Amino acid sequence: MLGFLHGRKETPRLGTLRQLSLFATLSRPELRVVDGLLNERSYLKGEIIFDEGEEGQTVYVIISGRVLICRQGEPETGKITEIDAGVVFGELALLDDAPRALQARAAEDCVLASLSRGDFESLLDTHAVIASKISLQLARQLGRQLRERSAAERRPL
Amino acid sequence: MKPAGPSHAAGSRYLSTGPLVWAATLVCTTLLLLMLKQALWLVVPFLFAIILYYALFPAVRRLTLAGVERETSAAIVAGSFFVLAVAAMVPTLPWLAAQAVNGEEALFRYLEGGRMLVDRTLTALESQFGFLKRMDFHAEMGRKIDEFSATYMQEHLTEALLGVAAWLPALLLAPFLAFFFLRDGRRFLKFLSDAVPNAYFERTLYMIERVDGTARAYFQGLLKLTLIDTICLALGLLAIGMPGAIALGLMAAMLAWVPFIGSVIACGIVVLVAATDFPSDPWVVYAAIGLFLFVRLLDDFVFMPLTVGRSLQMHPLPTVLLIFVGGAVAGIPGLILVLPLAGVVMVVAGTIGGIVNNPRLRARHDHAKALGARRITADLHS
Repeated sequence: MLGFLHGRKETPRLGTLRQLSLFATLSRPELRVVDGLLNERSYLKGEIIFDEGEEGQTVYVIISGRVLICRQGEPETGKITEIDAGVVFGELALLDDAPRALQARAAEDCVLASLSRGDFESLLDTHAVIASKISLQLARQLGRQLRERSAAERRPL
Repeated sequence: MKPAGPSHAAGSRYLSTGPLVWAATLVCTTLLLLMLKQALWLVVPFLFAIILYYALFPAVRRLTLAGVERETSAAIVAGSFFVLAVAAMVPTLPWLAAQAVNGEEALFRYLEGGRMLVDRTLTALESQFGFLKRMDFHAEMGRKIDEFSATYMQEHLTEALLGVAAWLPALLLAPFLAFFFLRDGRRFLKFLSDAVPNAYFERTLYMIERVDGTARAYFQGLLKLTLIDTICLALGLLAIGMPGAIALGLMAAMLAWVPFIGSVIACGIVVLVAATDFPSDPWVVYAAIGLFLFVRLLDDFVFMPLTVGRSLQMHPLPTVLLIFVGGAVAGIPGLILVLPLAGVVMVVAGTIGGIVNNPRLRARHDHAKALGARRITADLHS
């Protein structure tokens, strides 16, 4: 309905967003709605994105660069994983009020898109389809992480 | 009104509270009111624009939900409102013109009706209580009312009416401001959060959401309260046989935006109308007063806690204190503005207090600045 009011071409920006796993299933109008809610931030290599124990308000998606997830203050010895462009992190902030479980640092210069919990909750109210698509992608990512972790635990040293 | 969700409950840990934050809230609110007092001609249309923005916002949201772009939605909704408002105004223009011509005459007729009501009441009181007759209470009160209406009323009423007339053109700004709020509000908030360093980003984002949530809850609550009050008062006035019950109910509900004195003024106006239109039936006046008291009680104990009351989450004691401060500093606009303003200032002061009291956040900001400086000067050291 009212499709004639939103028949514009896909911009490079929307193309970039579509590459991100979290938004891969969204249609063009839906992406445009989400784009209005995203904040883009640039971080320098070594800059802290969030600390362990901090209350999480946003989920981040890496647009470019790499992010190191580690134990608080132990970027070398306490490294958990390093994640690439397109991957989501800090996603538990959307799901519960628990503090951040680990520290996130920019492993190299990176650009992140962030979606706040407040905006996600308002999406649930106003754009339930978009919110459910994002939630499904989040659940898929969490499932994938769980499978990888359990596979890693079973793997012989 | 959107209830305070888990994010708000949890996020309140971000906000610093304590005597310093409270003192800062009180001082900043007072200073802001003093500043606003200097630009009342702009504050009033801004206030109406904000109310209009929160009234029209759900419609814009519905259109964006249907897939229409936000800019187009804002234009459609604001344009439709403007057309509807003009369409509603056109049939009332002849009536308004007639009222403007006969306005002064009607005003004095209603004041005379009120004066007669007071006369009748005082005569009845004197006949009931002998000591009042011995004090010549009726004559004394009559003289005082004459003095009041001869000097104060004529001077200040003209001044007030001229003031309202001067503000009316500025009020035309309200729909335009509301349109830009609807179209660019989100972009402006994004612009604000982009200007904040990374270390403080999440807190600022939370603060912006809280400020928006507080203002939205307050003004949407106020609109709901106005609708409920209008319905209750209109039904009550219809039941006691008052003419123009809906218009009187709406006017009284809007006057209630001014804490305390708004309801008293509204009740006074309805009493004047009742006393003039029903000069031989004082029970209509008593019933109107009873109705206003009943609706006031309903407001204070039922409607307000369900609508506006939840939005600010303030203790009643500072709330009353702030209302007095608002009235003393900026008069009637101060009374209307002080609570939402204080709610917003409290969130901002709490967030800044939270950042100031968090050395880790400041250290992270310093670290980021040092990284940036090292990057800029890297080639200078080689």
